[in-house]
Amino acid sequence: MSEKLQTLIIEDEELARNLLRSYLKDHPDIEVIGECENGFDGVKAINEKKPDLVFLDIQMPKITGFEMIELLDYKPQIIFTTAYDQYALKAFELNAVDYLLKPFSKERMLAAIEKVIHHIQHEENTAEKLDELSNFRPGDEFIDRVVVKDRHKIHIITVDKIRYIESLDDYVMIYTQDGRHMKQKTMKYFETYLDPKNFIRIHRSYIVQVDNIAEIQQYEKESYVVILKDKDKTKLKVSKTGYKKIKEVLHF
Amino acid sequence: MKHPLTNNLRLLLSYVLFWTVIATINIILQVFWYNVPLTFSLLDTGTSYVLYPLLGSSIWYSIRYNSLEEVSVGRLLLFHLIAASILCAIWVYLSYAIYKPFITKESHFLEDGIPKKIFAGYLMYAIYLIFFYAVNYYQSLKEKIKKEVEYKTLLREAELQALKSQINPHFLFNSLNSISALTVSNPEMAQEMVINLSTFMRYSLLHNQKEMVTFSKELENIKLYLGIEKVRFGEKLNAEFEIDSHCMEAEIPNMILQPLFENAIKYGVYETTEQVTIKTICKCEGNLLRISIVNDYDACSIKRKGEGIGLRNIRQRMEIIYNQPDLISVIDHKTSFEVQLIIPQKQAMS
Repeated sequence: MSEKLQTLIIEDEELARNLLRSYLKDHPDIEVIGECENGFDGVKAINEKKPDLVFLDIQMPKITGFEMIELLDYKPQIIFTTAYDQYALKAFELNAVDYLLKPFSKERMLAAIEKVIHHIQHEENTAEKLDELSNFRPGDEFIDRVVVKDRHKIHIITVDKIRYIESLDDYVMIYTQDGRHMKQKTMKYFETYLDPKNFIRIHRSYIVQVDNIAEIQQYEKESYVVILKDKDKTKLKVSKTGYKKIKEVLHF
Repeated sequence: MKHPLTNNLRLLLSYVLFWTVIATINIILQVFWYNVPLTFSLLDTGTSYVLYPLLGSSIWYSIRYNSLEEVSVGRLLLFHLIAASILCAIWVYLSYAIYKPFITKESHFLEDGIPKKIFAGYLMYAIYLIFFYAVNYYQSLKEKIKKEVEYKTLLREAELQALKSQINPHFLFNSLNSISALTVSNPEMAQEMVINLSTFMRYSLLHNQKEMVTFSKELENIKLYLGIEKVRFGEKLNAEFEIDSHCMEAEIPNMILQPLFENAIKYGVYETTEQVTIKTICKCEGNLLRISIVNDYDACSIKRKGEGIGLRNIRQRMEIIYNQPDLISVIDHKTSFEVQLIIPQKQAMS
C-alpha cells in the first residue's frame, strides 16, 4: 500500500480503545486518526474525516453501531467489534462482513485488516453490504426506536412518538409530535418492523400510529380519509386494503 | 371456593336423588303403614325432605367462613348454635305457614309434627355441618395437591432460569476484554481483576447449593461485581451505598440483588454518556429488610418495555421462597428507575 489507511476507532470503553490502539501502533498500513466514545461523535467523525477504515463497537450508549450505519453519508470500510450479541453475530454471518469478537488476539485483528486491504485493492463494493446489514433485523422483534439525522443533529425517536410516516420516493418522512424527519428507508421496512398492533399501513404512502387516529371519514363511495389527532386535523387518504386493516385492528 | 352443589353437577344430582328417595320412602311408609292421608303425608314430606334440603344447602356458607383451624372451638360452637337456631326457626315457621290452610279440628297430625321438627332441625343441621366440612376438606385437599404440583414445576423452572441467568455472557466477555487490555497496560490490575472475577463467579456458583445468605455476604458480592464493572466504565459508573449497619445480619436469598444491579448498569450506565449513579438504600423495619436500588437513566433514548426476564425471575423466586406476592416493586421516576425489595425476616432486626 502506498498510503496508510486512515483509521478511526469508535468504542465506548477506554480499556478496549487502549488495547486496539496498542495493537495498531506499529502496523505499517494503519494510521489512527481519531477515537470516539459514542455513536453520536462517531457519526460526526466519519462524515467529517472520511476515514478509510473504522473499528466500530456494536453496543454503545445513545446509538448502536448498527444504527450509526444508517446515519452515514459516507461509508468507509468497517470492522465490527462486539463482546457478545447473538443478533449481531447472525447479522454478520448473513452479510459476510468482518467482525472481531472481544477479547480478540492481535493476529485475529491483523487478519481482518488484511481482508479489508484486499477489499480496497479489488474495489469491492462494501457500502451495499452495509446497507443490507442495517436493514437486517434478526428474529421477529419489532423496532422500539428510530434514529434520524437532520443536518448535523441526531435524534432518537422512540416509536411511541411517531404519529405517521409518509413515503417520499426513496425516502420516508417521519412525523412526530415535535416535527418531521427524513430518513432513507423504505415503507416496506417500517411496515415490517413496526408492531402492526400499533401501526397500520393505511395507504401506499402512509403508515399511521393507531392511537393517533381521531376519526375515519367517508368522502366518496368506497373511499375514506383518516383524520389525525393534531391541531391541524391532518387528513390522510386510506386505500381499500388500508381500510380493511384499520377495521381489523380497531374492531369495528 | 364456590358452593359445591352449584359448582358440581354430579354432586347436585346425587343430592336431589338422595332426598327424592328418602321422601318417596317416607310417603310410602306413612300412607300404607300408618294410614296417614296422602295430603298430610305430602305436606310433611315436602317440608321435611324438600324444604329443609333447600334451606340446608345454605349451611355451606356458615362453614365456608368458619374454618376449623382458624376459629376457636367455643366461638365455633356458639356460631353454629346460633346459625342452627335461626335456620330451624325459619324452617319451622315456613312449615307452619304451609300447614296452616290444612289444619283441621279432626286431625292433629300436622300440629303434632311441629315439636319434632324443632329437634329434627337441629339434628339435620349437625349432619349438614359434617357433610359440608367433609366436602370442604376434600376440596381444599385436592386444591392443595394441585397447587403443590404447580409450585414444584414453578420451582424447577425458576431454578433452571436462575441457572441460565447466573452470569451474563455479555458481562463475562466484556470483562475478559478489559483484562486482555490490562495485561498490556497494567498487568497488576489485570491480575486483580482476574481474582475479582473468579471470586464473583465462585459466589454465583454457590447459588445452586445455598438458598439463603447473610445480607453482608450478598452486599460484598455486589461490591465485587460493581468493582469489576467500574474497571470497564470508569468514571461513568458511580455507586453509592446508604446502609443501616444492623441490617448486615439479615437473611437474603443468594444472588437476588445481582440481576438488579446488572439491569441498572444495562439501562443506566450503558445507555448514556454521562456519569450514572446507582444508589442502594437499605433499612430494617421490624422484621422486614427494605432494599431500594435507584439508578438514573436517559429517558430520551430508551423506552423501557415492561418487565425484563431478570426482574421476572426475581419476582418468581421471591414468591416461591416467601409465598407472598408484591415483595418487589418497580417505580419509573422518568429520569431515574427504582426497584424496591422487601425481604421478610424470621426475627426482628435490632
